[in-house]
Amino acid sequence: MGRITDRVAIIGTGVTKFGEIWEKDHEDLLVEAVYEACNEANVDLRKDVEAVWVGTFWTFSGVAGDAFADPLKWYGKPITRIENYCATGMDAVRNAAYAVAAGMYDIVIACGVEKILDQGSRGLPDLDKMLLGSEIALNAESAPAMFAMAAIRAFKEWGWTKEDLALVAVKNHYNGARHPKAHFRREITVETALKAPMIAYPLGLFDCCAMSDGAAAVVLTRPEIAKELVGDEYATIKAMGLAVETLHPFYRKDWTGLAFPANVKAAEMAYKEAGITDPRKELDFGIVHDCFTITELINYQDMKLCKPGEGAQLIRDGVTAIDGDFPINPDGGLKCFGHPIGATGVRMIVELTRQVLGRAEGLQVENAQAGFAHNLGGPQAVAMVGIVGRPDWKPGEK
Amino acid sequence: MVGIISYGAYIPIWRISRDEIARAHGSATMGGERSVASFDEDSLTMAVEAGLDCLTGIDPKEVDALFFATVTSPLEEKQASAMIASALDLRRDITTADITGTLRAGTTAVKMAMDMVKAGSAKKVLVTAADSRIAIPSSDLEQIFGDGAAALLIGEDGVIADIEGFSTVINPIPGPWRREVDPFPRRFEAKLDTRYGYLRDLPTAAGMLAKKLNLSPKDISKVAIYGPDPRSILGAANMLGIDPKTQLQDPLFSTVGITGTPHALLLLVAALEQAKPDERILCASQGDGSDAFVVKTTEKVEELKGTRRGTNYIKSKKMLPSYAKFAAFKGVLDTGWPSQLPEMPRSPIVKYWRDEKAILPFYGMKCKKCGNVSYPIGRVCMYCGEKDNYEEVKLARRGKVYTFTHDYLFGPGNIQPGDGINPSTKVSVDLEDGCRVLLELTDHDLKEVDVGMEVELTFRLWHERARFRHYGWKARPVRG
Repeated sequence: MGRITDRVAIIGTGVTKFGEIWEKDHEDLLVEAVYEACNEANVDLRKDVEAVWVGTFWTFSGVAGDAFADPLKWYGKPITRIENYCATGMDAVRNAAYAVAAGMYDIVIACGVEKILDQGSRGLPDLDKMLLGSEIALNAESAPAMFAMAAIRAFKEWGWTKEDLALVAVKNHYNGARHPKAHFRREITVETALKAPMIAYPLGLFDCCAMSDGAAAVVLTRPEIAKELVGDEYATIKAMGLAVETLHPFYRKDWTGLAFPANVKAAEMAYKEAGITDPRKELDFGIVHDCFTITELINYQDMKLCKPGEGAQLIRDGVTAIDGDFPINPDGGLKCFGHPIGATGVRMIVELTRQVLGRAEGLQVENAQAGFAHNLGGPQAVAMVGIVGRPDWKPGEK
Repeated sequence: MVGIISYGAYIPIWRISRDEIARAHGSATMGGERSVASFDEDSLTMAVEAGLDCLTGIDPKEVDALFFATVTSPLEEKQASAMIASALDLRRDITTADITGTLRAGTTAVKMAMDMVKAGSAKKVLVTAADSRIAIPSSDLEQIFGDGAAALLIGEDGVIADIEGFSTVINPIPGPWRREVDPFPRRFEAKLDTRYGYLRDLPTAAGMLAKKLNLSPKDISKVAIYGPDPRSILGAANMLGIDPKTQLQDPLFSTVGITGTPHALLLLVAALEQAKPDERILCASQGDGSDAFVVKTTEKVEELKGTRRGTNYIKSKKMLPSYAKFAAFKGVLDTGWPSQLPEMPRSPIVKYWRDEKAILPFYGMKCKKCGNVSYPIGRVCMYCGEKDNYEEVKLARRGKVYTFTHDYLFGPGNIQPGDGINPSTKVSVDLEDGCRVLLELTDHDLKEVDVGMEVELTFRLWHERARFRHYGWKARPVRG
């Protein structure tokens, strides 16, 4: 198996404001993000870009590359539409990066967009519409319910509490309040989180990420071309791990709720590729898929920032706060950005890139050299871990 | 002699006090309480439950025919008994029939079962009877009715009670009746129906039988008779010349209500549960005439005691908090389930049909390589990856909750969008055979649910998407 490490450079990033953007559609959002990324990369969309990967989960212009071609009026060229649950966006980046590394193209775009609100604002669209009524889908659960069932186990096994979950929400809202592109930009208190209406016991409203619209894009190329286009203002991809598990974990007796198998495998894959043995010491920060507060805590463990059972201690001790030893979700995470599925993973790569280049829009992680981004979706079926750093970053203790 | 091999019953867990019904309408109460089928139950699901109880410890593949007697089949065109047979895991080459149109259908099904066995066309016939009748709100019938089911296995080998004789009289008296367009049963004049129907037909049928068998009232230990209300039952008992105090089987009015088609059989089950060998029980129903039959218990009646849940279901109960909840369960108050479910772009019916074995009799797979039991049935083992090397196995019916949630984004009944205040509870259950399944929980209070809670499977209406009634299994807290 090959390695992607330092073979692909991120030279342009674009991201829209995330939120309930009723007045804009896919086209507006995608155009905004893609042109921003191209401008930053000093490339011309029409003359320089050779291929595109677009991540979008819910169809709006056919289940095809037209999701990009029509909004951008970018015709006659290769476009691939990607969908892989909540890893949809980051998987678009992965496929685009592999094509560059393979030498097929010099300059490509990976982007993602979602208009969740257009699907109905109360939650994700009906799962059984997608699954066409398999007998298992007839017992479908909402996404929060699937993670609530993990929370029940964590409470039972480790004595974690709703207060621990609330601390995650408080931290991420603190960070998100300082990010201009975030959907929610208000700090909250533990009390607010605890008093919120129940969504899926024991998860309340503030344990859940919002439904938001948004788009993000990155321009990828090889490092040697990157230097010509943007000088030193680029980051490189260190690793991309992707693992797919069952969509129906509650029918498996080896599912514990105390770790998400797809997470563990994707993290192992990415760390191995990047040459990392102790992420907590070798990386500077991370962006995890905090679709729910419980998910963030278990992600800490799956991402090997601590041992199983210690996730809640990390948030209690402030380790993952912006001024902590290992900041997690300095942008405010999905908790503040919501989760426009196709856009999320790309936005995370944008955030990583801007952090390591020292130009984060929200809170800047001090002296950030490299970090990871993580998605978990399906809701626990697909996990992806991407590691991005400065071109000269190498694994090993800081 | 042809007789009863086994019996079973089912009473839903929910009760409402008649005081509460009366309070809701500002009317007089008849006292006591009645049983209420849950929102996801109907006569079909209750027949499955009673059938399961009856077949406890009996190989379902030995059953040669299944009858389903009811006046409240959820299906106008489509055979409920075929679906019940599948849920009970009966063979495919059996006789099935829905016997309906009259509250007498339950005993008529017994007669047909008896005749089939006598004729030699079947060795074992399962008779199920169930009703979930809906009365006009505020009417006396709303308090009188109860919901439930009974089942009898009829055959020749190993009978616990011989059926000594059977008599019938028919009488197309006006009421009660319900046309296709009527939501509630109608009466012409209750007094007329009782005086010229019930109190004439039932004693007539019983009298014919007594004469045929040369029996007098003192030869009968218990009389298990249907009646439209408790007073009429007492009236019939008097006409039969029995002592209501010692010979009349408790009509279950104060605890269950009058369940309709299954009622005479339900009382017979209650009588058999208490009977000693060599006792005679008279069972009689009424509806457009009357059926009466006498059974005489054998030594074997003792063997069945304590092995069936039967009327113990009466003691296992939860009170509905209000008339409104009762009205919603009975469908009198439309809460939108299952009537208002959004349409699906494509129907799941084909999947329901294709995977029948995994859905109705609830089979999973046991890998022949690693030995793990899993659900649903797939070509490749989810644990070891072995391809096409498994046996289909009927999954265990009990287990423990591994984890759970109350999902406020789905309403009870699972498929409809949640409203934020009425959650659907999901449980991931470790069944006793080691298979783990995700099920919706029903018949529970939110507060009683916890990790490790013991649950058992119960057959319920899942939903009515694509205008098809999808049935399947849910979990419920184990009933005491």
